[in-house]
Amino acid sequence: MSLTSFLASPPSRFAARHRRQLHLAVPVVAALAALPFALHDVYLLNVLILTLLYAAMAQSWNILGGYCGQISLGHALYFGIGAYATTLLWVNHGITPWGGMVVGAALSAVTALAVGRLCFRLKGHYFSIATIVIAEIGLLIVHNAEFTGGALGVQWPIAGDGWWSLQFGRAKAPYVWVALGLFAATWLVTWVIEDSPWGYWWRAVKDDVQAAESLGVEVFASKMSAAAVSAAFTAVGGGFYAAYVAYIDPESVMTFRFSLLFALPAVLGGIGTLWGPLVGALVLVPLTEITRSYMGGSGSGLDLVIYGGLIMVVALARPEGLLSLLPRRSR
Amino acid sequence: MNRREVLFGGAAALTLMAGARAASAADEVVIGAIYPMSGANAQIGVDARHALETAAEIVNGVHDLDLPTARTAGLPKLGGAKIRLIFADHQGDPQKGRAEAERLITQEKVTAIVGAFHSSVSATVSATCERYALPYVAADSSSPSLHRRGLKFFFRPAAHDEMFSAAMFDFLDEQKKAGKKIETVALFFEDTIFGTDSSNVQRKLAGERGYKVVADVKYRANSPSLTSEVQQLKSADADVVMPSSYTTDALLLVKTMGELGYKPKNMMAQAAGFSEKAVFDAVGDRLEGLVSRASFALDLAAKRKSIAVVNDMFKARAARDLNDNTSRQFNALLVLADAIDRAGSLDGAKIRDALAATDIPGEQTIMPWRAIRFGADGQNELCDPVLIQYLGGKFVTVYPTGVALQAAKWPMNG
Amino acid sequence: MTAQGIFQVLASGLLMGLIYALIAVGLSLIFGLMDVVNFAHGEMLMLAMYAAFGLWAISGIDPVLLMPLVVAAMAIFGALVYLGIVRYAMRAKSNAGMVQIFATFGLAVLIQGLAQFLFSPDYRSINGSFLAGKTVNLLGVFLPAPQVFGGVVSLAAFAGLWLLMTRTDFGKALEATREDQGAVALVGIDRNKIFALGWALGAGLVGLAGAVMAIFYYVHPQVGSGFALVAYVTVALGGFGSVFGALAAGLIVGLVEAATTLVLPSAMKSMGVYVLYLGVVFFRPSGLFGRL
Repeated sequence: MSLTSFLASPPSRFAARHRRQLHLAVPVVAALAALPFALHDVYLLNVLILTLLYAAMAQSWNILGGYCGQISLGHALYFGIGAYATTLLWVNHGITPWGGMVVGAALSAVTALAVGRLCFRLKGHYFSIATIVIAEIGLLIVHNAEFTGGALGVQWPIAGDGWWSLQFGRAKAPYVWVALGLFAATWLVTWVIEDSPWGYWWRAVKDDVQAAESLGVEVFASKMSAAAVSAAFTAVGGGFYAAYVAYIDPESVMTFRFSLLFALPAVLGGIGTLWGPLVGALVLVPLTEITRSYMGGSGSGLDLVIYGGLIMVVALARPEGLLSLLPRRSR
Repeated sequence: MNRREVLFGGAAALTLMAGARAASAADEVVIGAIYPMSGANAQIGVDARHALETAAEIVNGVHDLDLPTARTAGLPKLGGAKIRLIFADHQGDPQKGRAEAERLITQEKVTAIVGAFHSSVSATVSATCERYALPYVAADSSSPSLHRRGLKFFFRPAAHDEMFSAAMFDFLDEQKKAGKKIETVALFFEDTIFGTDSSNVQRKLAGERGYKVVADVKYRANSPSLTSEVQQLKSADADVVMPSSYTTDALLLVKTMGELGYKPKNMMAQAAGFSEKAVFDAVGDRLEGLVSRASFALDLAAKRKSIAVVNDMFKARAARDLNDNTSRQFNALLVLADAIDRAGSLDGAKIRDALAATDIPGEQTIMPWRAIRFGADGQNELCDPVLIQYLGGKFVTVYPTGVALQAAKWPMNG
Repeated sequence: MTAQGIFQVLASGLLMGLIYALIAVGLSLIFGLMDVVNFAHGEMLMLAMYAAFGLWAISGIDPVLLMPLVVAAMAIFGALVYLGIVRYAMRAKSNAGMVQIFATFGLAVLIQGLAQFLFSPDYRSINGSFLAGKTVNLLGVFLPAPQVFGGVVSLAAFAGLWLLMTRTDFGKALEATREDQGAVALVGIDRNKIFALGWALGAGLVGLAGAVMAIFYYVHPQVGSGFALVAYVTVALGGFGSVFGALAAGLIVGLVEAATTLVLPSAMKSMGVYVLYLGVVFFRPSGLFGRL
């Protein structure tokens, strides 16, 4: 949709469609929250948790990459900051992971502003490569610093299960709810933003920077705010992941592959849409996990052939994302 | 039902289908093996599969070998139950390792788990096993931190990095006492858990025992080029170069040394890449005289028949000799089978107690060890590492003296 | 470190830089032609190395002589990738950039899996070339023959590319297509054909790089990933689409990487390259020689 046609479309119809999304979201989230009562298989719950986490991460990425059109391929940096802040504060200082996530989110938001200050003048692929490079610098620092534990990583002690420590022994349901909560929060923020001045600005910036500037949109400021929000949520996800796995090292939370995997569900589901990240994650994560679990043990590499091939096919067959399979009015 | 619900329902059905797997039969003992089966270390996983399958073959069949559970078919106290292995791929990722451990435990109903090569993955898999009160045998993860977490279900029959490095320095001390000139060492290690653990101990031991560290080179694993790194080694020209590197970097290190015209006076490796066939196939001619620490001594086969037989069986599957890693994997499964048999039960706690009571004399293993007896922390302290030297195209054991078949050639390029 | 040692490090960096440039130029070329970043570039390098290894293992002929075969095979592969995949990715009406990133990312994962399936995950090395193990000693600075050969091949490839782009009809068609895709159709140039030939050329160049590297490097399904990241940074540093930029940036990346080890721990040697990249694009947002 171009800027002019967007601004010209009657606000009432947009508002009504916008409200309808919320009516759809409530039952979806409620159903997902009830799933642990019906589903007891630990493995499937694990797949569900990862699906929700990736949906949340893709939703966060979508705020900057989808709505604002700034294709960041360095979100692993923010994920890592969240994971390390949460882990180090808990393991070394006994500060609850919840506090660590808040600290991580704040640190990430500040980092994203600094990155934005440096990189938002870059266009297209130059911006994407710059975000990769900055994330790699972060990885190198964490890898070689003393206070992060370097390559040895940091293990969470096995003790004191409960909501305070975010450790639940064998139980998976609490993690489902936390991941779902994170996803719901990112969804809600996206939903609120869609209908706010910020949202108009971002879509305007994405559609046509020059036209947006001529209409008085604060291009740079709106990009910066998108980056900060996106990075903060990604960091919370990193903190959650650290608590969930109870062990982190630089390779397992900060490599380039993560940056791609955060963007992938949004792209496959429908970039710059409210539901795209969840739909993409619902397809992608179970596919990843199941091909690896049930085919990967052979060591033949065929699981990667299927996984890679399907990504390719979906990207080519549905360039607008899987969401475009649905009729327009229900989107 | 609108199309979105169809989509959601489809995804759920897919996951449920995958979950519905047949429970294991009663006359078999299912053991999970978690290894890297894809990614940069996939060859390790493929070799581990051959080693563990060889071990299972020995447990399940009747073999006239002086190894635990070899002479009987299956596990006698469990009515001859056979071992069935289920392999899972962790891709070097601690999160995937943990998820696979949970799957093996809850869906495949495994009795115990063996793994995992990467120490980072062993950390999360062992914690998961602890949660489920199921024994975890770390076959080949050598980070010393693993047995220091107070886990009750963690067992490691083989040595950890501190023991390996201590043996290397014991050997240097002995050479020095015999009048050889060894004053300086150069550390060369990758920036991973393995390299960091290994070099930390080596640096400490060098300081304690009066060797000067003249080069301390930490490099990025799988680096496109190691020229500057090798130049640092060359400039320092230490009496002993001590690499801690995996296959890719070991290959590149040796090639680059040749290209820069650097012949180290001596090389003493922390195994890893320097026990892999691929390295010796490609650059073996430049490694004449290389000393490596090891858990395994193939030349001991002359004294102990079981080693030769097991090696032949393994070679028939994997087209290569047993090495430092594969011997430990093979041994780990036998240790586990022995404990399950003595426990006479598939109950995790009972097997755990049986493992804790393990007492296998060295002669009844394929390893050059004194015995397998676990301490309270699950670490076997009686698994003395050996040093092997690459001479005339094959490895010979040169240390400790009790096990060694011949004296070390030192200096290697002398 | 002695002065000689420093010269050694810089000379090796320069030789490596020429290889980096040769790996990167195919990526840059394809980008310049049609605005597509190929995320399977590292895997193409890997395939070329396997092709060189496989041909050597079967025939026993010196890998230096097999280079044309590898280049031809990769050129055909490149054209097929365009005709079978990228062509469709470019049809996307919206977010074509993301579609082609992930279509080629999927292809990269697929190729890695396929390589593991076909060739096993073992590490291979060619040890049959007459160049292997030979070293030129230049006043105490050692220049390994395979890398010197690689550097010469790289320079020759750039010279050839320059001639191709400036002196032939095909080069002019390429240039015209990258200037204005719509206009070329009017003068009767088939855009699809040019693109397919562009991919063949780009893949052929990375094939050449792979054929050279197979002589002195190990081969493995994952071998491309490390070089791919260097290639992206090299291309962006030189300027997307600029052939000369790729050469200059490759040399700079090789040199800076080597020089960084003189001041920082070796494990952080990429740091110098990364900081340099950020510094350059901060002042020149489209790289050293890029047009925007």
